[in-house]
Amino acid sequence: MIQTIEASPDEIYDIELEHSLLEANAQLAKANRALLDRHGVTAIDVMGAIGSGKTTLIGRLVEKLKDRFGVAVFNGDATTSDDANVIASQSVPVVQIATVNGCHLDANLVGKALKKTSLDNLRLIFIENIGNLICPAEFPLGSKARVVVVSVTEGPWMVRKHPHMFLGAELVVINKVDLAEAMEVSVSELTKDVHRLKPDIAVIPTSCKTGTGLDEVAAALLAV
Amino acid sequence: MHELSIASAVVDSVLEFVAERSVRRVLTVRLAVGELSHVEEEQLRFCYTAITQETPMQDSALEIEKVPAMVRCARCEYSGRPKYWDDALSVAPIPTLECPNCGGAVEPVEGNDCAIKSIRFATEDNDLAIPAA
Repeated sequence: MIQTIEASPDEIYDIELEHSLLEANAQLAKANRALLDRHGVTAIDVMGAIGSGKTTLIGRLVEKLKDRFGVAVFNGDATTSDDANVIASQSVPVVQIATVNGCHLDANLVGKALKKTSLDNLRLIFIENIGNLICPAEFPLGSKARVVVVSVTEGPWMVRKHPHMFLGAELVVINKVDLAEAMEVSVSELTKDVHRLKPDIAVIPTSCKTGTGLDEVAAALLAV
Repeated sequence: MHELSIASAVVDSVLEFVAERSVRRVLTVRLAVGELSHVEEEQLRFCYTAITQETPMQDSALEIEKVPAMVRCARCEYSGRPKYWDDALSVAPIPTLECPNCGGAVEPVEGNDCAIKSIRFATEDNDLAIPAA
């Protein structure tokens, strides 16, 4: 039995707010992008699961590109600076962004990292997002392109299990293809899955061990 | 667990709103959650309940309205609901960005956002009776 007592209309107020919850981050992302554009810097948001090879991929790309122009790396990590240390050994500017318990980077944190970085001599910034295939999709950072890294060692269903991540990306890297046979995972099936979600997206198979596909990734990122 | 970020954004916005007015308590918060925004309803409710404790929003109802995805194709000018991938292991069909008409790539035009639509509140000077559950 439910009893309802209606309050009179002058006691209760309904207010239309139409207030976007993602807007605050989106605005900060736009500001980051404007700052980057003013300096002619391209930021690339690198997303992917823990262990997909984001840090190694970024490391290899930095190795290839750092003698041609200025490259910097922002390493998002919940707690450690291990990944940042790996990249810093290549003598490029690195900012560690510790999210503590946060599951994604946001535009505010990236904005703070940009303030700590001298943008004048840079052409490219790799932003390594937190290892997570769900949350980062909702939070643009101001990057010019978003790259999703999946690896064959994550099994055959990574794409269809995390569709949202791919819908907002500009490039997909299928990493560790040297292990595809051992893993019995088909790179072409993973590629097909990506294209079922987003028909026009570029998919590049890579191996950071053998170097397969790394030049193509570098070229694709410089063309965005 | 970005639902906690979303729930915090809801609570911060509503509390900021009520702080400027003589609001005694918030009764209902109505959200519009886009089909393409990946907000999990149960987790959002859980976070919302947890962080509204001991605020004027405590025990308020969280109403979640789902906003369907709409897409547009630049190639064939299709405009409408997206194509779904319905046999992808998933419990629910997955919206895709493949044009249902020509197979090209579409852009999402609606269903991306997550917004507070409206709030219902009671003012300070009135002793308001809340509907009994």
